[in-house]
Amino acid sequence: MRLPWKDFDSWLFLAAFVLSLIGIFLIFSSKYYSTNPSEHNLYLKQVLWLVFGIAAAGAVFFIPLRFHDVFSYLYYLLALAFLCLLILFGMNQMGAARWFRLGWINLQPSEFTKLAFVFAMSRYLSYTKKPIYSFKWLITVVLLVCLPAALILKQPDLGTSLVFFALFFSMLFWAGIPVLFLVVLVSPLLSLVCGFYWFTWALFFLGFLLVIYYLRPGLVFGIIMILLNFGVGTVTPLIWNRFHDYQKLRILTFLDPGRDPQGAGYQILQSKVAIGSGGILGKGFLQGSQTKLAFLPMQHTDFVFTVVGEELGLLGALVILALFIFLIVRGILIAKKARNTFASFAAIGITTIFAFQMLVNIGMVLGIMPVTGLPLPFLSYGGSSMLLSWIGVGVLLAIGYKWYEY
Amino acid sequence: MELLKQNKDKRSKIIFYLLFIVLFVFVLRLYYLQVVKTAYYKKVSEKNCIRPVSLIAPRGLISDRAGRILVSNFPSYTLLIMPGEVENLEKTINQLSLFAGVDGTDPMEKVKKSCSYTYQPIRVARYVDFPTLCVVEERNEELPGVFHQVELNRKYPESSWSGHLLGYVNEISLEELKKTEYQGNRLGDLVGKEGLETQYEDFLKGQKGTRYMEVSATGKLIGELEDKKPIMPVPGLNLELTIDLDLQAFAESCFHPYRSGALIVVDPQNGEVLALLSKPGFDSNIFTGIITQKEWGKLVSDPDLLFLNRITQGLYPPGSTLKLLTAAAALEEKIVNQNTTLSPCYGFYPYGDRIFRCWDREGHGKLNMVDAIAQSCDVYFYQLGLELSLEKWSEYAEKCGLGKKVGIDLPGEKEGLIPTLEYYHKKYGKVRWVKNLIINLCIGQGEVMLTPLQVTAFYSGLANDGWVFQPHLLKRIITDGKTITPEPEILRRLPFSAETLSILKRAMIKTVEHSLGTGRLARISGIKVGGKTGTAQNPHGEDHSWFVGFAPAEKPEILVTVLIENAGHGGDVAAPVAREIILKYLQKNYKQLVKK
Repeated sequence: MRLPWKDFDSWLFLAAFVLSLIGIFLIFSSKYYSTNPSEHNLYLKQVLWLVFGIAAAGAVFFIPLRFHDVFSYLYYLLALAFLCLLILFGMNQMGAARWFRLGWINLQPSEFTKLAFVFAMSRYLSYTKKPIYSFKWLITVVLLVCLPAALILKQPDLGTSLVFFALFFSMLFWAGIPVLFLVVLVSPLLSLVCGFYWFTWALFFLGFLLVIYYLRPGLVFGIIMILLNFGVGTVTPLIWNRFHDYQKLRILTFLDPGRDPQGAGYQILQSKVAIGSGGILGKGFLQGSQTKLAFLPMQHTDFVFTVVGEELGLLGALVILALFIFLIVRGILIAKKARNTFASFAAIGITTIFAFQMLVNIGMVLGIMPVTGLPLPFLSYGGSSMLLSWIGVGVLLAIGYKWYEY
Repeated sequence: MELLKQNKDKRSKIIFYLLFIVLFVFVLRLYYLQVVKTAYYKKVSEKNCIRPVSLIAPRGLISDRAGRILVSNFPSYTLLIMPGEVENLEKTINQLSLFAGVDGTDPMEKVKKSCSYTYQPIRVARYVDFPTLCVVEERNEELPGVFHQVELNRKYPESSWSGHLLGYVNEISLEELKKTEYQGNRLGDLVGKEGLETQYEDFLKGQKGTRYMEVSATGKLIGELEDKKPIMPVPGLNLELTIDLDLQAFAESCFHPYRSGALIVVDPQNGEVLALLSKPGFDSNIFTGIITQKEWGKLVSDPDLLFLNRITQGLYPPGSTLKLLTAAAALEEKIVNQNTTLSPCYGFYPYGDRIFRCWDREGHGKLNMVDAIAQSCDVYFYQLGLELSLEKWSEYAEKCGLGKKVGIDLPGEKEGLIPTLEYYHKKYGKVRWVKNLIINLCIGQGEVMLTPLQVTAFYSGLANDGWVFQPHLLKRIITDGKTITPEPEILRRLPFSAETLSILKRAMIKTVEHSLGTGRLARISGIKVGGKTGTAQNPHGEDHSWFVGFAPAEKPEILVTVLIENAGHGGDVAAPVAREIILKYLQKNYKQLVKK
């Protein structure tokens, strides 16, 4: 006989809860000296969102997984419809239409699209009967990821659309597709990058041909990939050289906002100063130097990790990192344990969302990754992000609890 | 899927390894920032602020075809505010307006508009003189967040005529800021307005750089930040124009007696614009100082339309200069040949219940086509127009590019108007009296409106065996040592046969060379000149005086279009001006002219 709560992953729950609590303290601290009094109570809103989040997680926990499985495509289509509506009627804030306004709440559909995509992809991967390399299979998978990613890129939100590609690769990887095959899938992009110098491209193309020879994928697929790579590699330098210098500069600035020295580059500099000045033990809670933080307008959202670095020092930062790693490892263990394929894919997808956003956000704040503007799950201020993260936790817990079900 | 089950262990192991690598990199980076470099960052954070200082890219210079400077740069002081470092913005700006005479409303607006970037410095005053700067700097303890910077400004040495050609430079407007072509600019940046400064903004502006400075709490600059290298600015490209400064200056002196009009000199063999004058103009240098709203309003509301570039934006009835279109169309349609004589001219032509007069009340008598052009007989062309019909006439006009933008490299070109049958139908409903309309149109009166540039392009085709070269102003782009020279482009081929073109050219030569020709005052002994006069009636007073002339007539190297507003007969007023300019230009290459 099984104990009723033996399979409830309370450690996972606890890690997420502790992270969220720390986040609330960080938001409180970041707005403590704000000259705008309405911002002093921002942390209370986050508390409210945490309550909502846990409630949602509880509700999701009791929904049978079969339900998500059956309705996954519907979720996906609904999410796409919302994204289209957003493009038509969305609220415009700082040049980007990312929100819907519902009363006092701003909802960000792109957050929920991530989860819908995870479910849809899980279903497709777990039920597909077609051989993996078949052309039709590939086209479907690529379309599945490109539709939401393109709609979100249009907002424009480069960071979130990258999450979809991360999900795409991690889930295909989990499906057992050889790593080399995944490399072949991204090869046109790599061709684009290598194409600026003929020698690197020639090397790349040679390697690529070897990989194709080794993999022996379907004939049509192989030929298309070779042609695509050849085309991209030869056309890129031709087009690039036709551009004027100022045009090249515009493209580069779009791809890498860090090149814009007064915008993003300056934020990273301030973020490094804040973290670096924290030292090993930090300046202490609420003791972060406010003149610095005034330079970082997004310290309670995307740059929340700087508050940790400055006020709680290296030790605080390590604790946060450890909590995240622990959470991610628990998620992977659940994915590994689950017997149902759909559930296993869903678990790996949700864990990927946490892992990828953590990687990109902290990497950006530490100045080793480009500025893309993704929130740090559980910590950054933001209702949609908090709600989605907790729903994710709820699904993970449900999968872990019923791991033995097929 | 069987694959999945087999790989789960192996795959999760790979993920754990990857996770470990990420953790390792992050911890290493944290260790570097918070342990190795912490002393440095602590110093930066406790004592000082960091301020990004723009390194302004010098804007590209513009010169004439011989490299003589038409626009240069000179340095001046600018006062800036860092909103993030100021406690009470209103108070600071009030104090500034007290010390430095800064107009407070304008900067306040700017600060509000850009409030999302509190770390972005905002310019509050430009062209601050040195004594004022000293006053502000002395009080820098009371004015935290206020600092100064040296910036480059534009200087136009040839400003008496260059306003319309070059335009000017001023702060970017809020409307422009929203447009995609100004992407990357920020509030307070200087951008080109009007003229070549706008047209070649992308070439001229260069790329801003940034230097990161440490600033003490009292606003003193301590020095450059050591771990962040400055990003050096990239200067703009230098442009060399097709303009010939000598000829331009001479043309301006010839035009001096007249208050308003336009003049354009091109080389018909490649479309290079050698000189270009639109009068009255404005002085680009006034925008380099601080221009108040009142001064600006006065300039804009001037009844002489100072900001209208009469060459590309001025719409005029072309008068008799358009007779060559009517003649060419009639020849092409085989309605007449060069020897055809129509009913003789008695100084007027009765049609329907109206009398249409010839400009010469005495009458011209019986003329053939060539003489009718040379003496500009209106009665001959009334009859030609009636034979030709409105539809054919407007069809040829459109094929010649009249009533369409020429596409010179200046912004804001106008299209003008070539009325067609549909135009009249739309305007008046189905009209029955179309015939009366063509009588006016075929001598360049009535609704037809052209820019001097369109007339120039049309005649450059007539002069150059039917080939119209794209009129242009940019000769070379110079970028550190390299020069890029765009090839001259052919704009279009006039829809006329070689025979028609040779008849027209003979008529244009006769216009100048014959003693009865209307353009005889443009004659230059020793070289053959061709041309056509025009006297355009208009509702604003005295007739506009037109003349288009070119020389040497067989293979023209220069074509001059002169339009003088409200000055009288084309042959009396405009033709002598064109003659002087042609003579001046040809003296360089033709020795026989210098002696005389």
